[in-house]
Amino acid sequence: MYMWNTSSSATQRTLNSNPQSPTQLDEQDKLLSEALGVVRNNAILMKRNLDKNRLMDGLKCASTMLGELRTSLLSPKSYYELYMAVTDELRFLEVYLLDEFQKGHKITDLYELVQYAGNIVPRLYLLITVGLVYIKSNPMTKKSILKDLVEMCRGVQNPLRGLFLRNYLLTLRNILPDTPVGKDDETGNVHDSIDFILTNFAEMNKLWVRMQHQGHSSEKSRREKEREELKILVGTNLVRLSQLDSVNLEIYQKIILPSILEQVVSCRDAIAQEYLMECIIQVFPDEFHLQTLDPFLKSCAQLQSGVNVKSIIISLIDRLAAYHQRNEKAHIDAADGSIIPIDVQLFDVFSIQIANIVQIRTDMPLEDTISLQVALVNLAQKVYPDQIDYVDKVLETTTQILENLNMSSINHSLAVNQELSRLLRVCIDFYNNILTILDLKFFPKLLSKFDYTSRKALALYLVMNILDNETFIPTDEQVDAVLEMLSPLIKDQEDQPADTFDPEDFAEEQGIVGRFIHLLKSEHLDMQYKILTVAKKHFASGGTQRIKHCLPSLVFQAFQLAYKYKAVAAEDENWDKKCQKIIQFCHTTITSIARAELPDLALRLFLQGALCIGQIGQTNYEAVAYDFMTQAFSIYEDEISDSKSQLAAITLIISTVEQITCFSEENAEPLRTNCALAASKLLKKADQCRAVVACASLFWSGKKDNEEMKDEKRTLECLKKGVRIASQCLDVNVQVQLYVELLNSYLYYFERGNSQITVSMLNQLIGKINEELPNLEKSEETKQIERHFNNTLAHIKSRIESNLEVSFAGISI
Amino acid sequence: MATRKKVLLKVIILGDSSVGKTSLMNQYVNKRFSNQYKATIGADFLTKEVVVDDRVVTMQIWDTAGQERFQSLGVAFYRGADCCVLVFDTTAPNTFKNLDSWRDEFLIQASPRNPEHFPFVVLGNKVDLENRAVSTKRAQQWCQSKNDIPYFETSAKEGINVDIAFQTIAKNALAQESDEGIDSAFSPSLTLGSSSDSNNRPNSSDCSC
Repeated sequence: MYMWNTSSSATQRTLNSNPQSPTQLDEQDKLLSEALGVVRNNAILMKRNLDKNRLMDGLKCASTMLGELRTSLLSPKSYYELYMAVTDELRFLEVYLLDEFQKGHKITDLYELVQYAGNIVPRLYLLITVGLVYIKSNPMTKKSILKDLVEMCRGVQNPLRGLFLRNYLLTLRNILPDTPVGKDDETGNVHDSIDFILTNFAEMNKLWVRMQHQGHSSEKSRREKEREELKILVGTNLVRLSQLDSVNLEIYQKIILPSILEQVVSCRDAIAQEYLMECIIQVFPDEFHLQTLDPFLKSCAQLQSGVNVKSIIISLIDRLAAYHQRNEKAHIDAADGSIIPIDVQLFDVFSIQIANIVQIRTDMPLEDTISLQVALVNLAQKVYPDQIDYVDKVLETTTQILENLNMSSINHSLAVNQELSRLLRVCIDFYNNILTILDLKFFPKLLSKFDYTSRKALALYLVMNILDNETFIPTDEQVDAVLEMLSPLIKDQEDQPADTFDPEDFAEEQGIVGRFIHLLKSEHLDMQYKILTVAKKHFASGGTQRIKHCLPSLVFQAFQLAYKYKAVAAEDENWDKKCQKIIQFCHTTITSIARAELPDLALRLFLQGALCIGQIGQTNYEAVAYDFMTQAFSIYEDEISDSKSQLAAITLIISTVEQITCFSEENAEPLRTNCALAASKLLKKADQCRAVVACASLFWSGKKDNEEMKDEKRTLECLKKGVRIASQCLDVNVQVQLYVELLNSYLYYFERGNSQITVSMLNQLIGKINEELPNLEKSEETKQIERHFNNTLAHIKSRIESNLEVSFAGISI
Repeated sequence: MATRKKVLLKVIILGDSSVGKTSLMNQYVNKRFSNQYKATIGADFLTKEVVVDDRVVTMQIWDTAGQERFQSLGVAFYRGADCCVLVFDTTAPNTFKNLDSWRDEFLIQASPRNPEHFPFVVLGNKVDLENRAVSTKRAQQWCQSKNDIPYFETSAKEGINVDIAFQTIAKNALAQESDEGIDSAFSPSLTLGSSSDSNNRPNSSDCSC
């Protein structure tokens, strides 16, 4: 009698447009706004009728409005908007009906009445709405109505319409029975809700999967995009299940999860599987996951080959690790032990199941397998931070996997390489302590699987980590192991490509290694010696380029060690022997630097050594120090030929001889003479002049029997010789500059009481300078000389005025 | 329209993931709290009847996913909202910083008629926790700068301020709904009379076939 004609305009419009081509956004917008217009108008009419208590007319409007949902022209997103608009309006009907029931206006045949709606889509929406009202007003009908509705929805088999209809069915959330099994009455218990939702879920999943196989294959990507959009409708079923408070672990474990997993695995659809597994992880609580890892992970192994199992597992691990960290603090306070239940061997379960997945899913890319190992390490580190063996086990497994595949020298451009690098870096970053890394036995083994470029990058990463954390490496064995790992930075590698050398990068990287050497440090002096010996063994084979950067650090470390022994001489009776050994160590090390054609460096280190020996004073120190000096001299004579380097070197030698105190006159005199001789043999006059003047200090403040020599005559001789050489200089600029410098040197010794220097000598020099200075061409250089000279005169002037011990009177400025 | 016996109010709860949107709704509607974390996917509502100014109203509270990847169908459910609740976690400063973008996103997507005066309510949740990171003052300043949004500090866990906050939400939503109601009272004649939509439609809905 109420055959409502809901000849909806939606289907009418279908006739006029091609259902396959509403891809243009404009077209969609137009279709949608038309449909929304119909909805709006009918909703207003519906409300007016309801306000006037004209129920039948109201229902008819509702049915017309619902007819819009029969369209096949809308994209999922547009359909969702339409659906939202329609269901928003339906709620007014629901409120009205509920109100009527509460007022006692029983309309008992309403449930049958709405079944006369002409089209199935509006009819089912109305049935669900009315069913809800029925259940609310008479809970005894709950069980049968729920069953009825979920079955009747099978009537819509179009995927899009069916999915939304069933999503509407899920809005019955408020009235789903949620009491534990007890009196078996008509209102039902939680198991009825579970059945209801699981049935709905299975049906929705089927509709969703079926979409994949409808339509032309050329539209596959569009279809998949639409399926992606619709996924949350299917997922809502899982949300509903998770919202049932009466579901405890047992029910989840025995009924819910197995049913979901069965559905997921058996649908054999990659998109559905990937999404639903992720959905399970997200919507159910951690407490449930912890107790159902095995079945869940086993199902992961059975998923279609297109499914990204890696991200599913990583997502689960991330979630559980986050759960652990979130609760850690609270639980420490509560003192009831660990957050992860004792009977759950989280690491072992994941470890075994991942191995299983790797074995079964032979099509999984190797980099994904490695990503899973990274996830395992993350899990171990977050949940079991002290269990280093867990991490080592993962590294072992990874090494094993690579060995089984016969993989070595893994190229740095491969995706696998990046994941492997990440694995090692995760370890380095987590511990921030190289000594802990050394406890990971498989770390170096895995490291050796990389190609040269990656090994070097990782070595650099390690060194930077050591420097950043200032980790001291306190035993020779540890030093040996660390240097072995850093080998690409320390010596040439067999697989090193020839053409990749960049001097700047190299120098920077070796500079870092040089800094690192200072962290090879033990508090025990004997151990420190062993450390240096081991380190030298590694660094000595580094080749000329590296030796320059590394060995000096080692030599200085050795000098420092000698000083330390000297400081504890009273406690260690063997200090003397040990120091001899150290000096020997230095000698051979410096010799190898000299052999590596680094004469400037070797010369300086020999001089430094001589000074050091003088201060340590171990047995036979004088002879050893003399030997160091002669080594320096021979290097000077044999190896240094560039005139600039020569001047620099001889200046250093002179100042070392001047400083050193340990020589008897027998050794000191030849050194002084040789310095003077070498100085006068320099090529350029200016260099000669400066070096000879420097020699003056040997006879003045140089030591003889631990006293300054103060040999006035020989000091002056050096100065005079300097003046003579300067006078031979043809470049007037240089000459005047040298005169000014000489004046300063004369003044220096004059002030310090060298009585052989007379005022007239000074006046003579000043006169010469005054004479020459105006003749110089004006230039920046001349200005400098002038300033130097004026400052010197100003100094003399202040001395004259202050009337100090030595008489400056008579100097003519 | 304000004379209608029953009023239905639509309220949307927005905010970053795990600030406690679902917990607040559950505490308010069911008086229950669980420490278990379950992510919300898509959008979901619960209803509750409340009395505001002697009127019985049905509040439909929409809980939403904080993670964008769980909104694959878009946010059509924003439409027709009478009030929007913005939630942040007082122990997580980022969730507070993101209130701006949540508010903007809502105003763009829901396109309410009068965005300047659309009712928002801000809830700073998890005040039961010790490691507080967003001060009351800072939150209040932000709310003031946005046209004096009411601000409540809540704990879904302890039930602190939840009822009073939702009471305010209902009240402000009702005020909004009444305004809208007046508008919509005029709209039928307009749409029926002159809408080009309905005229252009081939075989409009009163066709008898």
